[in-house]
Amino acid sequence: MRKNSILSIFLFFAFSISAYAQQITGSVTDENGIPLPGASVVVEGTSNGVTTNFDGNYSIETSQGDVLVFRFVGYQSQSITVESSSAMNVQLMPNNALSEVVVTALGISREKKSLGYSVSEVSGESINDVKDDNIANSLIGKVAGLQITQSGGIGSGSRITIRGNNSLGGNTQALIVVDGVPINSSGINSGSNDDGGATFRSSISGGGISDINSDDVESISVLKGPTAAALYGSRAGNGVILVTTKKGTNSDKLGVTINSNISVDSPMFLPDYQNEYGHGTLGAAPTDITQLTRSSWGSRLDGSQKLYYNGNRAIPYSAQENNVSDFFRNAIKSISSISLDKASEAGSIRFSYTNNSTESVLENSDLNSHNFNLRGVANLSDKLSVDSKATYFTQEVNNRTFGGGEGILGYVYNMPRNIAVDDLKNYQADNPATPAEFGVIGYAPSTGNPYWMLLNDEENERRNRFIGFSKIDYKFNNWLSAFIRIGADITSVRTRSVEKPGHHFYASGRMSVGEFTSSELNTDFLVTANKDLSDKFNIVANIGGNMSKRTSEGLSNSGESFKIPTKFFLSNLNVLNAPVETPLSIKKVNSLYGALSTSYDDFLYLDVSIRNDWSSTLSEDNRSYMYNSASVSALVHRFIDPNQEFFNFIKLRASIAEVGNDTDPYQLSQTFSVPGQGYLGLTTLGSPSVRLNPDLKPETVSSTEFGVELSMLNNKLSLDLSIYDMTTKDLIYNVPVPAATGYSFFKQNIGEVQNKGVEVNLGANLVDNEKFSWNTSLFYSKNENKIIELTEGLESFIYNSSNDGSIAVKAAIDGSIGDLYGTAWATNDSGMGTVDADGKPISTGAQDTYLGNAQPDALFGWSNTISLNDFTLSFLIDARIGGQVYSQTSAEMDSYGVSERSLQYRESGVTVDAYNTGTESANTQNITAQDYFTSISNMAEFYVYDQDNVRLRELAIGYDIQNTQTFGIDSARLQLIGRNLFFFSKSADDIDPESMVGTTLGTQGISVNAMPTLKSVGLNLTLNF
Amino acid sequence: MKNKFLKILSVLLLIFVASCTDDFNEINERPDALAATDVSAKFFVTDTQQKLFAPNRTPFWRGTILQSDRFSGHFAHGYAQSFISGENGWTFNFWFQEFVYNWLAEYNSTLTAFTNFVKEGGSLENDQYYAISLIMKGLYYQLYVDTHGMVPYAEASDPDITLPKYDELKDIYTGVISELDQAISLIGNNTSTGSGVEKLGENDLFFGGDMQKWKQLANSLKLRMALRAQGAPGESFSAASVSQAISSGVLTDTDALINRDINISQWASATYGDVWHNFYGIAHWHVGSVLLNTLQDNNDPRLSKYAVPAKGGSVTIIKPTEGGNVALIDKHVAFLKSTLDRAGAEYTMTESSTEININMPENTNYIGLPTRLSDKPKAYMDTNLFSEPSEIVRNKKNSGNPIFPWVVMSAGESNLLVAEAIVKGLASGNANQYYQKGIEHAMALWDVSSADIAAYLSTEMGSLSGSTDQQLEKIATQRWIANYTNGYEAWSIVRDTGYPSAVNVSVSDTDLYGLGGELNGAYPGRLQYGSSVYGNNADNTNAALAKMGPDNMATKLWWAK
Repeated sequence: MRKNSILSIFLFFAFSISAYAQQITGSVTDENGIPLPGASVVVEGTSNGVTTNFDGNYSIETSQGDVLVFRFVGYQSQSITVESSSAMNVQLMPNNALSEVVVTALGISREKKSLGYSVSEVSGESINDVKDDNIANSLIGKVAGLQITQSGGIGSGSRITIRGNNSLGGNTQALIVVDGVPINSSGINSGSNDDGGATFRSSISGGGISDINSDDVESISVLKGPTAAALYGSRAGNGVILVTTKKGTNSDKLGVTINSNISVDSPMFLPDYQNEYGHGTLGAAPTDITQLTRSSWGSRLDGSQKLYYNGNRAIPYSAQENNVSDFFRNAIKSISSISLDKASEAGSIRFSYTNNSTESVLENSDLNSHNFNLRGVANLSDKLSVDSKATYFTQEVNNRTFGGGEGILGYVYNMPRNIAVDDLKNYQADNPATPAEFGVIGYAPSTGNPYWMLLNDEENERRNRFIGFSKIDYKFNNWLSAFIRIGADITSVRTRSVEKPGHHFYASGRMSVGEFTSSELNTDFLVTANKDLSDKFNIVANIGGNMSKRTSEGLSNSGESFKIPTKFFLSNLNVLNAPVETPLSIKKVNSLYGALSTSYDDFLYLDVSIRNDWSSTLSEDNRSYMYNSASVSALVHRFIDPNQEFFNFIKLRASIAEVGNDTDPYQLSQTFSVPGQGYLGLTTLGSPSVRLNPDLKPETVSSTEFGVELSMLNNKLSLDLSIYDMTTKDLIYNVPVPAATGYSFFKQNIGEVQNKGVEVNLGANLVDNEKFSWNTSLFYSKNENKIIELTEGLESFIYNSSNDGSIAVKAAIDGSIGDLYGTAWATNDSGMGTVDADGKPISTGAQDTYLGNAQPDALFGWSNTISLNDFTLSFLIDARIGGQVYSQTSAEMDSYGVSERSLQYRESGVTVDAYNTGTESANTQNITAQDYFTSISNMAEFYVYDQDNVRLRELAIGYDIQNTQTFGIDSARLQLIGRNLFFFSKSADDIDPESMVGTTLGTQGISVNAMPTLKSVGLNLTLNF
Repeated sequence: MKNKFLKILSVLLLIFVASCTDDFNEINERPDALAATDVSAKFFVTDTQQKLFAPNRTPFWRGTILQSDRFSGHFAHGYAQSFISGENGWTFNFWFQEFVYNWLAEYNSTLTAFTNFVKEGGSLENDQYYAISLIMKGLYYQLYVDTHGMVPYAEASDPDITLPKYDELKDIYTGVISELDQAISLIGNNTSTGSGVEKLGENDLFFGGDMQKWKQLANSLKLRMALRAQGAPGESFSAASVSQAISSGVLTDTDALINRDINISQWASATYGDVWHNFYGIAHWHVGSVLLNTLQDNNDPRLSKYAVPAKGGSVTIIKPTEGGNVALIDKHVAFLKSTLDRAGAEYTMTESSTEININMPENTNYIGLPTRLSDKPKAYMDTNLFSEPSEIVRNKKNSGNPIFPWVVMSAGESNLLVAEAIVKGLASGNANQYYQKGIEHAMALWDVSSADIAAYLSTEMGSLSGSTDQQLEKIATQRWIANYTNGYEAWSIVRDTGYPSAVNVSVSDTDLYGLGGELNGAYPGRLQYGSSVYGNNADNTNAALAKMGPDNMATKLWWAK
């Protein structure tokens, strides 16, 4: 087999040349010669590293031929090969495009200038200052081409896509790799990092990248195109986010860093309400407790004594203007960490502990996590080193509220305008005895009491996660090295949810308990040869292999009707549903790959890679498949502007690549589903609704990318521009078929999806002197998604529908993934809106009017860092342009008569200018505001908003506290931080247009009673000892 | 050291190469899946029966209770305390109809999997099971097409045809009847599906595995469909089918029922009680006024079996002092009064300028709630003034109380169908004898005593008399009464026969009734297709609509009056 030849190649490289050990000392200074304390000096490819002391000096043991990498935040890294000299003084320049080093696929550090494809790197600092409990959210606006969509409440995951959606079904989110080891990004409910989805009830769990502690992050690289990600083969289809975590670097003494980040969260904004009309219907307040409605179509709030929802007849009928905002609290978010690190010739060690204690803005809802991280590097000899990391993460989320139509906030946002929210805290009779007394006291029948759901019901999740790896590095000589690495990621999640007796939907109560375990084990080896074949010609060859094993299993139990209505455990249930066992499922992928990078005269760079995967999820015939990539870059400034009069740097690059996407286990052969619940104690057999397919092939994503990188005016201005064209073919999809076929879906390779786009990164060093500097970066990306082809007869399919039936998220030929189709105002033949005999507007009824697309056209991020003496101001403004979202929130608010909009027509009604289908002539029928808005609210066309918005996403004002040494503190920095502070502009009413009901493809473009976007203001204190 | 490392690396590489992909086939086999060799056909029969007639709560609540049981006039919402408007099922509701369509359309996979197993060449080939699958198919298509209209039939269940054409109802009816004929002939004189693992036995929820009863069921269904088709444009098979079915033998003495599973979760199979006892009573419903008035008018002993008397007592209705209803007070009070009076209720009403007080003896009056009320008169329709369904209809599971079974095809219905065939001149015999036998069986199913049955049979309504039309009206009305708790069939009877005429009505007075959006006051003729058909089979769907009429509730089906 092929592998034998690889073995021979490996053996061919397996001879070694010994090198000389050597002590290097020197200093690291900035561009003005000022010492840089705390800069890191690391031998490339090893964990052997130190940090500079207060005077910017360092000392490190190394060997001739080694490459020393000098890094400091905000400065360009420098790599210098150790020659015979034992002193090495280095001056670091502020960041620019010229000599930046970035982490690329497989964790290989490369000079950015040599890459023929686009990679963006974000430093640990830039995601750490203004913390979010999910670091994914800290990447918003910082990388062109990366789209992050937040959903859900505390501890919820985010949707992460790079360069649009490549796949019709399954997972279109990026692969997350931590220190070279892919991690499991499963949400607990779905088997992928897609989560949430049902528009009536959407609970979004965390997992994946949200479990990574931001304080441990050294940097994050975003491998955007297939070329960048090609070495990940069939997992690379959606791009890769590479997280590199910190190692111990403090050489002269034990380094201690304490970071404390405390902020106060509150809703950034709430919808606009009317405060003139109260609880009731048909223009009248309720007169009988048994006839309450949910709506605010009552009479004018005149303060007179009227019947209140709780039966009290002597309550002033007056507006409670703040009843919605009063439901939310100012929540404290506290993320604290301590890290200890030490490095020496013998190796390094870093330990960190982080506690995240985040309250939700809703009472009785919070998140608490502990993260223990130990990283150790041992240099066992000058050739052999061992690098190991173990991270243990444990998190408890209490009452992560679910969103959607039945979500808690629907009962808050649409609360009648005269109800004081605190009164709803009496959600159940005292000492209930009879079932009726157990019943929820809401402001209308069948209406949830939000405090019941928050303070009484349970919705808890506990997650324990271990992520770790061990890596043995061996340097054969100064040009050949190899490593073996074993990485593990094991997650176990336990969920428990209880709806207690008296609940508005589940009167006798119900509960469910689930346990899910998933794991990912990766065994890798990589052999690297790095050799100068001549003065001008350098070659780096990598040969590697990976064995990946991913497993998942689960068990869940649920039931309803509590025997004793005051205790909540499974054996106290009258009806216990059959347990749902998800037996151990295993997926294995073996891979071998090779990559060759050549450079000629620091001018021309050529990379090629090849990877073959063997996936257990495909049949023997289709199991083995190969992907290739090639890229080229040329630094042409030396020809165009040899004296660097204008341009300091001009790089042109081009690349092509093909990567893939395989599938989940058990997608090939038809079987019968397990016995279900049975009937009358008899065994029944279910039949599968998906027709599986033994001939399934992997999806292929092919891409072409061109780019240009410029640096000019003494590196004060830089530009990085990419254009790409990606085409995905053979998409694996459950193709919806007419149920008459005997199945609901056929699993097939179908269609073609194209993503085309442009990414621009503009950087400027506007002011740069010792006392004052201003760096600014602008990120812009635009992606166009087009469905070229589906399969014969299939013109479109529906991902998801809103539970009011008004909108469907579709994929249609010649359209884009995420097209929004919905109900509209029905028109007559001459295009005039129609009303019925009564005068009420008529809806088209069907979700067949095109109303927009859920994917934004373009994303902007503008990030700035301004330093003045010891003060640093940084801020990030970001924007979404284009794309639409349906606000079911707004439609509901109109239909319940609580929105400010619903003040129209209250007193004298409206005669809609339309064609009356009853009289078959111009309409003359006057209808009430209630009739008008309840009709209109069924028409999605009136509630589809543009996603356009511009907001101040992050703000940090930092002060480097001086003279801390007298307190034994090396350095101290205090920052005032803010997140989501305000909108410069926003098109949508009522909602944050980026807040979707879930993280799946089908939930993009629908917003239903979402948690308000949180504004966060706080302090960040960092102390280095 | 170097060599040691090299050795380790080489060994690992060798392991990698060796281990390679040996176990890949094995690990990609689902551990909890069953192969054909693990299963018996009888398990599919249970599933096939339950999923169609005892569905889970979603289609049951949104389809049966909120639509068909209300369209049939048997049940009504929209009383003062209800959170469900009286008209909401009449206005197209995406989530009601989407789930009904998906339930019925996707049922085909259950049926097809079973059929493929037992048909000739199937891995569990057995002609008796195949006959059962054909009869289930007939029951399925009758329900499916009578609810939605044209659907794919001839090209259905063939996975190689991903874009099946829709068939006209005439062709589906013809096809189903010929498949029923095939089933009837396969069963012949067989009494069982076989022995050992092939014995159906208790897994047959209808008949405990008695094939002769399956044959009678096939004949009853054939008779029902032939009579429904009779007189529809272009049909030519009904006369022959009717006489064949009757001579081969319908279910004249046996009911095809499914007993309720009282332990099962409502999300697997729901009862009325599962909905009734949720939501704190606000989703309760009342019995329709036409049904209770009809029963009372004829002293029908089923009155107390179907419903309980209104709770009564003292009811105060506060008159509106603001809003649009102020102008309608007199009309609404008069409407309430006429509803109570039509039901023959005993009550006193006093009216002041601010309120209406009604005093009604407790648990005495049977008063039905009018269907399709708009929200305007809602506040006057106090729940205590109207009758609720009897306890046997709405009992809670696991309470030790009986729950009325699901009716697939009753002996009462079968006899009434024979009577109808004779009156229509499609069969010979004594129509009245079958009419009375039908009533007798229909009443017996509800535990009416034989004395009460005899008394009823001696009333005007208890025997057939008068013109052909009057006789047909009586039969239709009896079938409609007998199909209480089987809303889909009762609704079909109204659409097919036009009786009871008080149910088959259009509305226009928006002070009282809801026009129902697109329906614009008309009586509902069908339910809409699910939204998926426009994505995955658009051309064929549109071709069908061109023949049938637009995809809305107002479109009338082929056989409708």
